[in-house]
Amino acid sequence: MITTPPKHRAFSPWRIHAIASNALLELARLKVFYFLLLFALLIIGSSAFMMEFPFHEQFQVLKDLSLGAMSIFTWLLAVLATAMILPKDIEDRTLYTILAKPVPRVEYLLGKLLGVLWLLLLSTVLMSAMFALALATKEHLVVAQTMREMAHAPQEQLQAALRDVHEHAFTSSLVPGVLSIYLKAAIFASLTLLLSTFATSSIFTIIVSFVIYFIGHVQHIAREEWLGSAHPMAMKKVFLALVALLFPDLQLFNLVDDIVAGNAIQMALFVKTVGLGCAYTFVYAFVAYVIFAYKEL
Amino acid sequence: MKKVHLIALLIVLGFGAAKAPVEQRLTGEHRAAFFHGAKLSLDLRQQIGQMAFLAALSGFRSVVADLLFIQAHTAWEHVEWGRVALLLNQVTALEPRNVLYWDTAAWHMAWNASVAARYDKKEPREALRIKREREYFHVGADFAARGIQNNPDRYNLYERLGMIYRDKLGDHCKAADVFERGAHTVKAPDYEKRLAVYELAQCPGREREAYARFRELYESGEHERLPSVIKWLGILQEKLNIPASERLNLPPN
Amino acid sequence: MADSLVPAISIRNLTKVYPIPFKRERVVAVRNLSLHVEPGQVYGLLGPNGSGKSTTMKIILGLVSPTEGTTTIFGRDSSEVESREQVGFLPENPYFYKFLTGEETLFFYGKICGLRGAKLRERTRELLALVGLEGARDRRLGGYSKGMLQRIGLAQALVQEPRLLVLDEPTAGVDPAGSREIRDLILNFKTRGITVMLCSHLLEQVQEICDRIGILHQGKLVREGRLEELISIENQTELILENASPDLLRQIGALVSGSDAKLIAQHQPQRTLERFFLEVTGKEK
Ligand SMILES: Nc1ncnc2c1ncn2[C@@H]1O[C@H](COP(=O)(O)OP(=O)(O)OP(=O)(O)O)[C@@H](O)[C@H]1O
Ligand SMILES: [Mg+2]
Repeated sequence: MITTPPKHRAFSPWRIHAIASNALLELARLKVFYFLLLFALLIIGSSAFMMEFPFHEQFQVLKDLSLGAMSIFTWLLAVLATAMILPKDIEDRTLYTILAKPVPRVEYLLGKLLGVLWLLLLSTVLMSAMFALALATKEHLVVAQTMREMAHAPQEQLQAALRDVHEHAFTSSLVPGVLSIYLKAAIFASLTLLLSTFATSSIFTIIVSFVIYFIGHVQHIAREEWLGSAHPMAMKKVFLALVALLFPDLQLFNLVDDIVAGNAIQMALFVKTVGLGCAYTFVYAFVAYVIFAYKEL
Repeated sequence: MKKVHLIALLIVLGFGAAKAPVEQRLTGEHRAAFFHGAKLSLDLRQQIGQMAFLAALSGFRSVVADLLFIQAHTAWEHVEWGRVALLLNQVTALEPRNVLYWDTAAWHMAWNASVAARYDKKEPREALRIKREREYFHVGADFAARGIQNNPDRYNLYERLGMIYRDKLGDHCKAADVFERGAHTVKAPDYEKRLAVYELAQCPGREREAYARFRELYESGEHERLPSVIKWLGILQEKLNIPASERLNLPPN
Repeated sequence: MADSLVPAISIRNLTKVYPIPFKRERVVAVRNLSLHVEPGQVYGLLGPNGSGKSTTMKIILGLVSPTEGTTTIFGRDSSEVESREQVGFLPENPYFYKFLTGEETLFFYGKICGLRGAKLRERTRELLALVGLEGARDRRLGGYSKGMLQRIGLAQALVQEPRLLVLDEPTAGVDPAGSREIRDLILNFKTRGITVMLCSHLLEQVQEICDRIGILHQGKLVREGRLEELISIENQTELILENASPDLLRQIGALVSGSDAKLIAQHQPQRTLERFFLEVTGKEK
């Protein structure tokens, strides 16, 4: 009856996959996320039907509202999902049953994080699809209106007008915008996971995560003051340095505002920004592992 | 705090020390590419309120700007020009890279608010009404000029400012300069340089320069030989007394 | 194999001190504990609440790190992940993922043990049959009773065919019939050569299945040894007679009083409450 089991692998993608898909399933069963998602989709969908402005502004408002909604909901999803996922396993003692198997803690943590990232990816794709649909609908409406209004204009002018409409609808620079939204959420998933490895309750994790979100958006002010000016008082300088060292600069991942306003980001710059985001995600996950590895369960 | 927490903190700080200069450099590169140019000052906070300011700080600048813009739109429908100007000021402060906002603001001030001031039934003294009208021209020009400062790479606002000088303030020399600068932006449409030259032709003392530019245009090919170009060439040849031998052989219009 | 010489569990000078957050006090959960469990044995760890049984088990499984001392499973230190290949664990009052069915639960635990494909399905089927949950395979664990949870917990512990089982109160909250079934399962494991360490407050059951016991009190091992040796009273003999006439009893009494022996008690034996309960609920086989 007793057979020798397959040799133990120090690192197994298969085990991580099992834990990640289980985490995804667990998260996908929480109703609160459907509310969030539904709400986001509603905002995105409804912004397609604001008609009282000139069409340039209609596109503008549609993009701003949609991307704003995507940004806040993806981030919320990241924080809420990650904040509950570890404490729940600890509370229900399912963690004991998993770690009592030959599963390294790093795999367990990585699996959970990947589960969240996977969930974020799915919801980002869903919201992007809704956004694309809203944008296409709007474009369709505006084109129809333009055709009606310019029915008697020369063909050449009509074509120019329609080209103008297309240029204001979908632009390829929206893609890095959406990616930056996902990236920010990924950083927060990792950061929240780190917080939850030593937090005593989910609510603590969530609150601290929110605070970091706000400070992260003004971190650059502290950093520029710290690195830029030569002579502030020592105390002040230490304080500024601490803010700059401890918090991420989230403004760097905040590209959508300016992208919608008409800025395109060059590939090289975008790649650097993504690199920094990945570094954050990795380092936070690594520190989470260091703490978790020594955690008394 | 346990030892491992201290180690964790040290790792975060160590990473912080490594990433701070990277962030600093990246911020510089972002700014050079015209990202994060908004100036979220305390002054703005007072104007738009604590909540909106917080939202704007935490990544929802454009949404706040949109909401203010919609308010401006409503104020416009209610013909409250002072409020429109104030709100558009806030909108442009939040979204300085949005040409549309600057352009709308400049247009509202120079074309709509000015007209409303000129024909204000509550103000019987005409001299005052004219003064108010001109003030609004300048407010419009100011929006366009500030917009250009924030968006030197986009032609739209040069065009708007040029039109204000040309059509509202009647300053052809300034209009010519502004159009000219617009024509040098990357995505400027072809007509931008013609706009500049037309104005140059009407700027006292620079007619000769304008004539040279028109010739250049004319000689650059068939596609530039528009009726208005030809017309201006004719006018300038007369006005400048160009010797017959040097004159272009213009087709009759 | 040299394996038979290596103890299934070996605990050497184990001490565990829990700090109490925000206070200067500390709790000593386990105090200088040493014991060995030989392969093939069923070992019972007994003790009152808070005596350190669960803590000891968690240390064996590497869930909690010892303050001092070491524990090994088949010779591998508990701090190594590999030591967990040969052990299945059922924690006290386990909860599993409520949204999974019985079958999915075993799939999940199988996968994290590296099983997959046909082998995983086969193993799952086998285990569901073993613990008698075939009928509930497609029901979500959220709807399982306490006893069913305990059984799926056992199945989960067995998924990678470990040579050692560590069971923390496997019968807590389970009705007598269920608890007998679990007892029978454990005896079944023993016949298959699986080593078991368990702790339980049902001493009667411990008595029925354990080869060896250790008693913890306030984190210290106060007694340890083979069960019979520990509980037999060597200078007493029990006679149980059926249909004995009063006359016979009188004769025996006379014989006793004429000897060196002393009659300490004479009474009608009672059936145990457990047996009575099983008789009335009709579950006695
Ligand atoms: N995580 C912990 N932090 C602090 N003290 C703990 C922790 N876990 C257990 N203890 C303490 O250690 C001692 C032993 O606990 P343990 O759970 O091992 O006892 P037990 O024998 O399993 O008890 P029970 O029969 O009630 O299950 C108790 O005094 C308990 O309060
Ligand atoms: Mg216990």
